[in-house]
Amino acid sequence: MAKKANSNNLKLFNRNAFPLFTFLVLFLICIIIMGFDFRYNLSTKIKSELSLIIVPINYIINLPIEIFHNSKKSFNTVRLLTQENQILEKEIYDLSIKIQENKLLKSENTQLRKLLKIHKEFDIVGQNAEIVLPNVRNGYSILTINKGYKDSIENSSAVINNSGLVGQIINTSRNYSEIKPITSKTFAVPAVLDTGKENIILYGNGNSELEIPLFPASSFIKIGDIFITSGVDGIYPKGIKIGVVTKINPTKSPKFNYILVTPFFQPTTFSQLTVLKINKND
Amino acid sequence: MIKKYNNQEKENYLFFILIFISLFLSNIGIYGITDPRNMPNYFIGLVIAFIISNKANLNLYKLVILGLIVDLFTGQLMGQHALIFITIFLLSFLVNKLLIIKTEIQQSTLSIFLIVNSFFILWVTSQSHDIFRSPSLLLVQGILTFFAYLITKLIIIKFSSK
Repeated sequence: MAKKANSNNLKLFNRNAFPLFTFLVLFLICIIIMGFDFRYNLSTKIKSELSLIIVPINYIINLPIEIFHNSKKSFNTVRLLTQENQILEKEIYDLSIKIQENKLLKSENTQLRKLLKIHKEFDIVGQNAEIVLPNVRNGYSILTINKGYKDSIENSSAVINNSGLVGQIINTSRNYSEIKPITSKTFAVPAVLDTGKENIILYGNGNSELEIPLFPASSFIKIGDIFITSGVDGIYPKGIKIGVVTKINPTKSPKFNYILVTPFFQPTTFSQLTVLKINKND
Repeated sequence: MIKKYNNQEKENYLFFILIFISLFLSNIGIYGITDPRNMPNYFIGLVIAFIISNKANLNLYKLVILGLIVDLFTGQLMGQHALIFITIFLLSFLVNKLLIIKTEIQQSTLSIFLIVNSFFILWVTSQSHDIFRSPSLLLVQGILTFFAYLITKLIIIKFSSK
């Protein structure tokens, strides 16, 4: 009796049989699911349906900052508000002057297009939104905005703001949408220098910057040059500012240089941006 | 027997509560750290803590379903975390077959081994599906995940001692 009790208590090693067949089957299922998700974006479609569960989590995450901002507004003194008002009035005045200039340029442009029989329109129509939390999800950065498909936000829509190009919508749910920023490693945009020369493709490098891995050394470019969207892809309208050249490094090949571009857009929570409507006529 | 089932129920409740807390925490960065990506993988820490402590009666099926749910809510690719969790289960099982893991230091060493393997699988599956994950960032996340594992372990011990 005592011997049997001793052998039962001495369970130092795990003597159970491992369900190897079950493990192999589940392993294969996981690999297949990963393949299907990568190919057909299954999780994106399911996530948009699961928005009812995500909405309360997003609401709770944004609540402290919203309370803080609302409380801050209540404690703003008259002097600070007057100063802010004056700065905003000056900005409105400066922008009004620029709008008048732009109106003239636009009408000249329309006349020239009629003469040359070029029919493409460049009206930017979009939905305004605000960046909200969360800005990280399980260790990877995301940009979340407070508009979803109920506000006519569509997947693959371009996103811009007053600084320049922001990114592209990759996931929409009922109330929120996710943006892939232009600095993402899987992002690329056709661009051109603001002088109208040098058509290239800018790639995100995953480190808050954009790069051109192989830029022809024979082409003239200097630090401080600005890149804008070229519009050839039909996704991003032409003329949206992207970034400024901050580094020009030689590569192993003497024929090419490596260019680093710092984007104009820097994501900050509660900043405004515009989601452009997809032009289905292009 | 009745006491055993009550304990199992309590462990299951604790497991589900910690999953919900992890779901919430994985959407907020750590206060004071500039780069919000420097955060632990709470789910990996949680699963390792429960498997090493042999609580909540986790099996392969539960881990696959949990992994798929985690991927749906917080992951970038469905099936990634499911694969990681069942691999954690396999490795823990094999190690316990070969070695005696009883002391705290041994369990912590095992947890480090499992965390390293988990992040290796995360990196490999991300690379093969065009998801960029910086190796230096994964290293920082791995270290923070170890701390998350320690905190989860403490919670389990505190809860079990009541």
